[in-house]
Amino acid sequence: MRHLLILAILVIAMGLLPIFASNYTLRLGTMFAMYAVLAQSWNIIGGFAGYPSFSTAAFFGLGAYTGAILQTQGVPMPIAWISACLVVTIFAACLGIAILHLKGHYFAIASLVVAEVLLEITTSWTDLTGGGMGINLPILRISIEAQASLFYWSMLLLALLALGLNFWVSKSRIGFALRCIRQNEDASAMVGINTTFFKVVGFALSAVLVGGAGAMYASWVFYIEPPDVYSVLTSVKPIVMALLGGAGTVFGPIIGAAIFLTMEEFVWRSFLSIHAAVLGLIIVGLIFFLPHGILGLLSDIKKKSIRKRGSSPGVEE
Amino acid sequence: MFDSKTQKRSIIASIMAVFMALTFTTATAQEKIRIGAPLPLTGPLSPEGLKQQRGYDLWAKKVNSGGGISVGGQSYDVEIVYVDYESNTPRAVQSAERLITEDNVNFLFSPFGSGATKAASSVSERYQIPTIAATASSEAVYDQGYRFLFGTFTPNSTLTTPLTNIVASGGQDIKTVAIYARNDLFPIAIAREMEKSAKLKNLEIISFDEYAIGTLDHASALTIMRQSEPDWVFATGYINDLILIRRQMSELGIAPKVLTMIAGPAYKEFIEATGKNAENISSAAWWHPAVSYNGEGVFGKTADYVAEFEKEYGSLPDYAEASASAAGVILQLAIQSAGSLEPNSVRDALENMNATTFYGNVRFGETGQITSLEPPVFQIQDGQAKVVHPKEIQQAEMKYGGIN
Amino acid sequence: MLTAQILLNGIVLGGLYACIAVGFSLVWGVLNVINILHGSFVVLGSYIAYFAYTYLGIHPYLSVPLSGIILFFVGFAIQRGVINRVIAAPVLTTLVLTFGLELIVNNAMIIGFSADYLSINLQNPLGSKLIGGLVLPLDRLVAMLLAIILTVILYYILARSRIGRAIVAVRMDAEAAALMGVEVKKIYAITFGIGAFMAGAAGSLLSLVFPISPLNGTEFLGIAFVVCVLGGLGSISGAIIGGLALGAIQSFGALWFGPEHGLTIAFALLILLLIFKPTGIMGRKGYE
Repeated sequence: MRHLLILAILVIAMGLLPIFASNYTLRLGTMFAMYAVLAQSWNIIGGFAGYPSFSTAAFFGLGAYTGAILQTQGVPMPIAWISACLVVTIFAACLGIAILHLKGHYFAIASLVVAEVLLEITTSWTDLTGGGMGINLPILRISIEAQASLFYWSMLLLALLALGLNFWVSKSRIGFALRCIRQNEDASAMVGINTTFFKVVGFALSAVLVGGAGAMYASWVFYIEPPDVYSVLTSVKPIVMALLGGAGTVFGPIIGAAIFLTMEEFVWRSFLSIHAAVLGLIIVGLIFFLPHGILGLLSDIKKKSIRKRGSSPGVEE
Repeated sequence: MFDSKTQKRSIIASIMAVFMALTFTTATAQEKIRIGAPLPLTGPLSPEGLKQQRGYDLWAKKVNSGGGISVGGQSYDVEIVYVDYESNTPRAVQSAERLITEDNVNFLFSPFGSGATKAASSVSERYQIPTIAATASSEAVYDQGYRFLFGTFTPNSTLTTPLTNIVASGGQDIKTVAIYARNDLFPIAIAREMEKSAKLKNLEIISFDEYAIGTLDHASALTIMRQSEPDWVFATGYINDLILIRRQMSELGIAPKVLTMIAGPAYKEFIEATGKNAENISSAAWWHPAVSYNGEGVFGKTADYVAEFEKEYGSLPDYAEASASAAGVILQLAIQSAGSLEPNSVRDALENMNATTFYGNVRFGETGQITSLEPPVFQIQDGQAKVVHPKEIQQAEMKYGGIN
Repeated sequence: MLTAQILLNGIVLGGLYACIAVGFSLVWGVLNVINILHGSFVVLGSYIAYFAYTYLGIHPYLSVPLSGIILFFVGFAIQRGVINRVIAAPVLTTLVLTFGLELIVNNAMIIGFSADYLSINLQNPLGSKLIGGLVLPLDRLVAMLLAIILTVILYYILARSRIGRAIVAVRMDAEAAALMGVEVKKIYAITFGIGAFMAGAAGSLLSLVFPISPLNGTEFLGIAFVVCVLGGLGSISGAIIGGLALGAIQSFGALWFGPEHGLTIAFALLILLLIFKPTGIMGRKGYE
């Protein structure tokens, strides 16, 4: 209950941000919300199910281009966004059926390469996508402040949906199945869990909001080209964020996103020519010192202090 | 932990510190003209970004060493605020906004290339910050009806038309053209312009092929090209692509009468990397050290600019570096002409500018793109880029053949 | 004639691809680590060759051992110092770790060498020969042959030497090998070092073929991936077959579908293979 109260306060505070924050701060906030969506979405297939998916960039890029193409054809923005979610979900389901029988590295590579293939197809299909020259989206005829607020709230809403999705999956049969799959897939199958079905569902769920984020992103920046939206970093950063916060937990990814982006902004401002290296150091440090993320660290500390106090084994979260 | 006295003192101290910091920053902000320059200092476009940086830095240094820019009786030093957008276009837009809203720059220099320039220009237009684009040539960049964007490159057709004119009238019986372009904004755009210009001269385009970004091997495309034995090969891409293409053309024995490449040959890095095979490659660019203008800005004559650049960096400037320095000169002239730093005044001064700089004559068209340049055509001869057009500054005659 | 030339192009290219990939394949197969740094290792090898040629006049083919040895120690150190600590960790961890290391190394290279594209221009290039209507680019051909020879030497070392057999033992079953007295962690470090050696050597050979810059690292990595999946993991013959196959596929793909689709075809093929036959042509199943 207390957690929900804190969450509610935070959400309201964030919702009120446009009133007193500068446009640039709103931009940062929108970025945060976007990455929160990506990280939380990845968490479903990567955290709960333990499948190292690198296909976030593929879903994001596909969503961005779907939204962009529809908008240039005159489709209203919100409908373009929802359509992007649908298209990406269907794509993810099909892709999932094709590659989810792979394990470990093979699955990782397959999911990574999908983005490359989509990139190349997008670049070649100039008539539809503008190819290497990119797509210009129709400009919104509203003030800068209004635009900043609009996209901020939209992304924030999506982030809340992503958080809610995580919450729901975690408590539902799907979450249970995915966790079993992570523990021991063969045993799960033997116990009667339809692993293929749940994996595909998990994979599709991990894509639906990412597609929407991509479409929103395209509307937000007005101009996209293939290398921007299919970048491998779009796949890697959400994973790092989820790991940072605690993969497999409900709140871990969004916490990780907040911390990561703060660090990144600080690094970008302060270290002009070595920010890539600093990011690398952060990642390496993360792997060594925070293998279970921050939430994992906190829960370890909690467990240790419970043990120290000598009370009976506390209830697991 | 703290007693109330210490607490009070630390609160007062921090308030004072913040107050001092604020007054300090506002105080320094008044003495300088701050120009934002988002550049790709890392990532695939970093060689280009660094060129622009060199051009800007030279101009800033020159201006400041001469006492700064004088506006309304007060002298202002120039400060260029750099942000690295990591060769990532969305980051370029973010950088532009950050520079305007957080770093409070007075003016903006555009990012590298047509794509990023166009994307970032929507930000500067909305905030009404005069912006000069030093490396954007595609007309599509300037087609949004923006009033605050000005560009120092003329449209792509101004490069291809003189080329086709020269070659078509060179008396060498050049009939067929093979075009090979990188599937990227600028390389494709200029390849299409070449196609148009060539058709106007009744040249036959026997092939128009594209290659993906990141292609490491052109052997297949070139082998097919070799079969049709084109008289003229026109290749576009970035420096790494062109180095590789030239090498593979040599390996596979393609020997056209004319080989034109855009945009590598203008750079000394290309000539060094290609070595002997650079001989007789032709190209066109918006500027060349051999042009001769009696400029009004801080650099004076073209030759003086070239000498300054060489002194500072140890090599001749190429068109990208010169364009960046020119952006600074143009901005300075506009500020001086407007007599103020007020954005609309400076913007109007840019619109009405009719000046000569070391870079060339400066007059902007309705869209904000410069219209008064005469881009030189040049050819690499004896390891150096020599101008073959226009006649006024011609250094050598166009040579045909000799490509192997 | 056209077909023959395209095939020849593909084979020459393929041999170079094989050399790029063989070190990567070894590390993946034995340590179950995808070394994202591999592309940068190749680039480093090219830089070593470049400096050796420019300042010491050493021909790139001769600097192969030099690049190899330097990279061996670099790889060994990284494995021993960093990667060994997470060797038992899940796939995601090692992948993200090597990704982070790659960011550091790549940034360091850009600062150290600048991102400008360098090229080695030989004083006396071998040029091209026309044989029976086919154009043979000799420098490339020699590079390819040396690459193949190097790969074959590696094969024999693995098959015959003690270290080699220890590596194979660890690859087949690390626990059993440990029980047999093999120092598994040391073998891991040595294997990683060998992978880096091959990358550095490839870099030297490639310095005459491709322009040199830290920005090329990712392309080489991509090639290594595709070759491994095409040919099968952890086996030398797999790398060679995979490399040749990829070279041929790209060559003919460009001929049939146009040059701009070369990369698309390679990656689409990769996905299809992963879906239907992840063990590749040689069929040796890698770790999951």
